[in-house]
Amino acid sequence: MENKYTLEITDLTVAYDNKPVLWDIDLNIPEGVLMAIVGPNGAGKTTLIKAIQGLVPTAAGRVLVFDKKYSENRGLVGYVPQRGSVDWDFPTSVVDVVKMGTYGTLGWFRRPGKKEENMALEALEKVDMLDFKDRQISKLSGGQQQRVFLARALVQNAEIYLMDEPFQGVDATTEKAIITILKDLRSQGKTLVVVHHDLQTVMEYFDSVALLNIRLIASGKVENVFTASNLHATYGGRVKFLDQEISQNAV
Amino acid sequence: MILHELIFDYTLRNVALGSAMLGIVSGFLGTIVVLKKQSLLGDAMSHAALPGIALAFIIFGTKNMSVLLFGAGITAFIATGLIYLTTKNSKIKFDSSLAIWLSTFFGLGLVLLTIIQRYPNAQQAGLDKFLFGQAAALTQSDVTTMFILGAVSISIVILFWKEIKILIFDPGFGTSLGLKLRIMETVVIALIIIAILIGLQTVGVVLMSSMLIAPAVAARQWTDRFSTMVMLSALFGIAAGISGSVFSSKIAKMPTGPAIIVSISFIVLFSILFSHKYGLITQYFIERRSNRNIKLNRILEGLLNLSVNHDDPYHPHSINVLKFMGYSPGAIRSGLEILNKQGLVEHRGEEEWALTKEGYTEIENNFKRLIP
Amino acid sequence: MLLVFSCTDSNKTDLNADTIRIATTTGMINDIVLNVGKEMVSTQSLMGPGVDPHLYKASAKDVSTLSNADIIFYNGLHLEGKMTEVFENMSKRGIKTVAVAEGIDKSKLLQSPTYKGYYDPHVWFDAGLWSNAVDRVTGALVAHDPANKEIYLQNSADYQAKLKTLGTFIHNKVNSLNENKRVLITAHDAFGYFGKAYNFEVIGLQGVSTDSEASTADLQNLSKLIVERKIPAIFVESSVSPKYIEAVKEAVNSKGFNVEVGGVLYSDALGNYGTPEGTYVGMFEYNVNTIVDSLNK
Repeated sequence: MENKYTLEITDLTVAYDNKPVLWDIDLNIPEGVLMAIVGPNGAGKTTLIKAIQGLVPTAAGRVLVFDKKYSENRGLVGYVPQRGSVDWDFPTSVVDVVKMGTYGTLGWFRRPGKKEENMALEALEKVDMLDFKDRQISKLSGGQQQRVFLARALVQNAEIYLMDEPFQGVDATTEKAIITILKDLRSQGKTLVVVHHDLQTVMEYFDSVALLNIRLIASGKVENVFTASNLHATYGGRVKFLDQEISQNAV
Repeated sequence: MILHELIFDYTLRNVALGSAMLGIVSGFLGTIVVLKKQSLLGDAMSHAALPGIALAFIIFGTKNMSVLLFGAGITAFIATGLIYLTTKNSKIKFDSSLAIWLSTFFGLGLVLLTIIQRYPNAQQAGLDKFLFGQAAALTQSDVTTMFILGAVSISIVILFWKEIKILIFDPGFGTSLGLKLRIMETVVIALIIIAILIGLQTVGVVLMSSMLIAPAVAARQWTDRFSTMVMLSALFGIAAGISGSVFSSKIAKMPTGPAIIVSISFIVLFSILFSHKYGLITQYFIERRSNRNIKLNRILEGLLNLSVNHDDPYHPHSINVLKFMGYSPGAIRSGLEILNKQGLVEHRGEEEWALTKEGYTEIENNFKRLIP
Repeated sequence: MLLVFSCTDSNKTDLNADTIRIATTTGMINDIVLNVGKEMVSTQSLMGPGVDPHLYKASAKDVSTLSNADIIFYNGLHLEGKMTEVFENMSKRGIKTVAVAEGIDKSKLLQSPTYKGYYDPHVWFDAGLWSNAVDRVTGALVAHDPANKEIYLQNSADYQAKLKTLGTFIHNKVNSLNENKRVLITAHDAFGYFGKAYNFEVIGLQGVSTDSEASTADLQNLSKLIVERKIPAIFVESSVSPKYIEAVKEAVNSKGFNVEVGGVLYSDALGNYGTPEGTYVGMFEYNVNTIVDSLNK
């Protein structure tokens, strides 16, 4: 029996100055998976996340979200961008940032009100940041900032979550907290696609993985796909520190 | 008396109102521009307005202010478009692109002015006065125009508050939500142009950029909330506008536009130095006080440490022994004097000092604070 | 006998190579040259009707015109404030440059109250002082073209006679106005010599140069004065933006006093070519008529 595909990516290609940074990506992601996107620097991982959402112009390709065009179903997709993509000196508070997750539902002229405030507080509770709700965001640690971004996505109540390196530069406690939340979301049937930088933890955290280096090298269940030979093909060299682990776990 | 004049004197009232209007709009739009890190964009846009004024005069042959301002708006808009296009489609970075188009358009403006100066009606149009403004010549109808433009701009900002906020903070995320941020970017640019048009008559092309930047920079020193920053920025703008007008009305030959800019510069300087949150001088004193407290605590603890050998926390020690705690003798002495005044140590004999009961309690309390 | 000059780029200039090529700045100076030199000279005036000499910046074409001239006549005393260097350069190149106002005895000039050693350059509004400028032009022409000395001297005498008649007309016209009504308020301090020579109180808003910006205080003080002394008319100028004067008018009106803009005066330039105001005498007559008639209310 087939799993329904929540995200169907076909022929996705992104190019700058005639050089492809993403090329001919065919990726179908079923419901209820926690998938890692891994690859070397410049592999196009962030570009993939952005291209799916139409945030960068594409040279070719199509993205279906629950069988409809992304632009029609964007309300079903939640987004956690890289922490470094914003300036945290912006004068605003934690709860204010989380409320931004509700902007998509408000339409042009409405402001977030009581309902949105409560949704935000609920989300902050889930990421254990409720005590910090009025804190200026520049006064947060990296892990705290990451949790705020996560809360902002949670408020969107999406079916699919796209995340860009959520574990980058966070403390161990935050990392544990985040992976717990992600696994929890998965058990609710959500689809999670996460750009991940740390090969060491792929097997521990994720059930699926997509190996990317401008082209899609391989994708599927972690135990099938996360092999030494696939990693060599993706990273183009010996991935030394993992050789032992991989050879133990490879099918 | 000044208040009376502000209300009842035609000249001062209009100059002050017009300048205040400029202040509010600059405050609102300036906050957006500064937080978006596009401060110099305002500079480029106001400089690019100059050829538009000249061209409007050449093409329509009129000195009608609305026509001239219309021309100003058009070239400012075109220049902005060129800046964005150049940045997007070539290897030239944003600030280089800015500099290129700023100087090109401004240079073109100056050339046109030189050509125009031969035309018989040119001086009548007072085109060269757009460089530094002629605020003192504001009439009631000028102020009405500024008011309408200003009210429209502010309303638009308030209407699109959340879109503007997210446009500044996280445009990627905002776009992913489906918000039409490309349109918002264009709206913001149009609003900046309106702000510049308001400012052209008052402070002129050259000084307008500081009106956009300074109030917002000053406001940021006092608050960590976006809405407060906008309000404060507008308030500072109004204050500068009115105070500049008043200065110019009390001191003969003092031009109004530059007086406004000097006012806002003082406000910025004061804010950067003395704001309770981020002021440099404030920080200095806070740090100094905390350093002093650290030093005093260490003297207390030093006394305690030395007394360990004597099984008596209140055993006195000569200041010469205390010298080896690592501070200059003068610093130790002055520290002990302060502690003495606070009742935490006492003078015993010639040069001997000892902890008091209160001093001992203080050390205890300090440790308790460290261990929750 | 006409002096003919061979020149290598005569096709580049507008000046007729068979005549003495003269470059002038203001129309008033140009008027002198035309009247004294007549058909012996061809002139090119850089600053036409409505042009402000205080702010005028020489374009490349102007520099070319100047360098192709045989004689350059300018006002001096910093009237052409932005062209000082240009004149110096021309002089260094060997072209005769004559500041027509600088031959006047300094004791007859109005000193700037704030800047020591600087004088009000608007000397043409005293027909008596201006005759000195006529002499200077005549002298330069004679020196350049001694063969035609008699013609120049005759033309000069005719022109000076016109100036004398003008002077008499002005005195009479001004005297027809009550002394307490003789207050002339204009956009900038161009009429100081007029006031001194013809017994008129003169107040300008922007100071001696239009380069300055009037302050709010300046406008307030002026409107107060107009209301206090019940002055019925103030004046804008052809070569200056009327915005300041119009703002003063509105301010005065708001105080309940009805002041009119009495008319457009020619301050630093003549009127259009071919009209009476396009000549020095015609311009001055028009000014005085406009002033006196508007104030005689």
